[in-house]
Amino acid sequence: MRRLAFLLTLVCGVFVARLATAHHSFAAYFDGQKAVTLIGEVASVEWTNPHFHFSIDVKDANGVVARWRFEGFPPNMLVRQGWQRDVTLTPGTMVTVEGWAARSEPNAGAARWVTLADGRKLAAGPPAGTGGR
Amino acid sequence: MNAPLAWLACAGAALASVAAPLSAQSPAPERAAPRTADGKPDLSGIWVATGAIMLFEGQEAFAAARAADAAAGRPPGNTGDAPPYKPEAEAQRQYFLSRQGLDDPMARCLLTGVPRINFRPLPFEVVQLPDRVIMLYEIHHAFRIIPADGRPPPADAEPSYLGESVGRWDGDTFVVDVTSFNTNTWLTGVGTIHTEDLRVTERYTRDSFDTIRYEVTMDDPAVFTRPWTLRETFRLRPGERIREYECIESNEDLQRFERLLQESRATEGAQ
Repeated sequence: MRRLAFLLTLVCGVFVARLATAHHSFAAYFDGQKAVTLIGEVASVEWTNPHFHFSIDVKDANGVVARWRFEGFPPNMLVRQGWQRDVTLTPGTMVTVEGWAARSEPNAGAARWVTLADGRKLAAGPPAGTGGR
Repeated sequence: MNAPLAWLACAGAALASVAAPLSAQSPAPERAAPRTADGKPDLSGIWVATGAIMLFEGQEAFAAARAADAAAGRPPGNTGDAPPYKPEAEAQRQYFLSRQGLDDPMARCLLTGVPRINFRPLPFEVVQLPDRVIMLYEIHHAFRIIPADGRPPPADAEPSYLGESVGRWDGDTFVVDVTSFNTNTWLTGVGTIHTEDLRVTERYTRDSFDTIRYEVTMDDPAVFTRPWTLRETFRLRPGERIREYECIESNEDLQRFERLLQESRATEGAQ
């Protein structure tokens, strides 16, 4: 019973948190139904407001490289999640990015999590907002 | 799942998760709220809406915070509830919803109004002085200076994003009346429009060391069938500080939205 209650609370937590913390206008540009997980080499990092951006080069099975550009938290929130400018995410390193693709823009997305080469997984941006709340 | 059903399920789950371990261990009692030299509850501190706890500390901490609120008798946050709009206003809200938030004033870096600014997932600092309460928001580097010395609202008030706030104490609750709004803000979520006649009444009650109960009532007869009340718990963030927030620097939403809006207008024009 306790376990069930905890799980329910957890699920509800996710639902309710989405209502309260939806990214501003997330849904206007990104598609919360288009989840992506990509592994690639960091090409650039822009530590800017009100969002930071970074790009990674993703190689497909045939060796063809596509450059993806992601958007995430502003620096003030990144620091709270344990990020350090010029230290945490550096060009040339391999990372795994979980997030959502843009609605129409190719190779663009909103990052939720970044897993670094040393295995650390850091929040990189907010959960997908619906645009409805 | 619709919002009321979700809240019902969540309240039940929260209660069950709190009640189940009672036999094993009682929750630690909450520390009393501090008071100022003049005996009033001290609202000073750095706070964040409970809805943001998931971003700051993760989902388990968020669920624990909601469970703690249920155990202490604090009402669940309801900032996602649908507003009691008249049909015409609701139609406008649905229009904005259908456009996925494309028209959000906040995405253009315009100041966020009251009460939406209190629900954003960024902290704010309250500095309580004997004659006024100052609120310093991380988002947009916005601030409110709320007189609490009995003075009336300023006679030369112009409609503005954050309005004009006047505070007073009702027992242990700090009550803030906010008027003189412009119409460039949304009240909470997408499309929550209002008129310049909007009157907002906020009630801040520091009911424990770590929490402020917040209740806000929005009255705007031109768009609402009745006053709309939302509740949330603000949580103290020890060790936190208000950091810089700059909105224009690389806000690509400005260009994106302009392009999307043009496409949208072209589509509407063609229909």
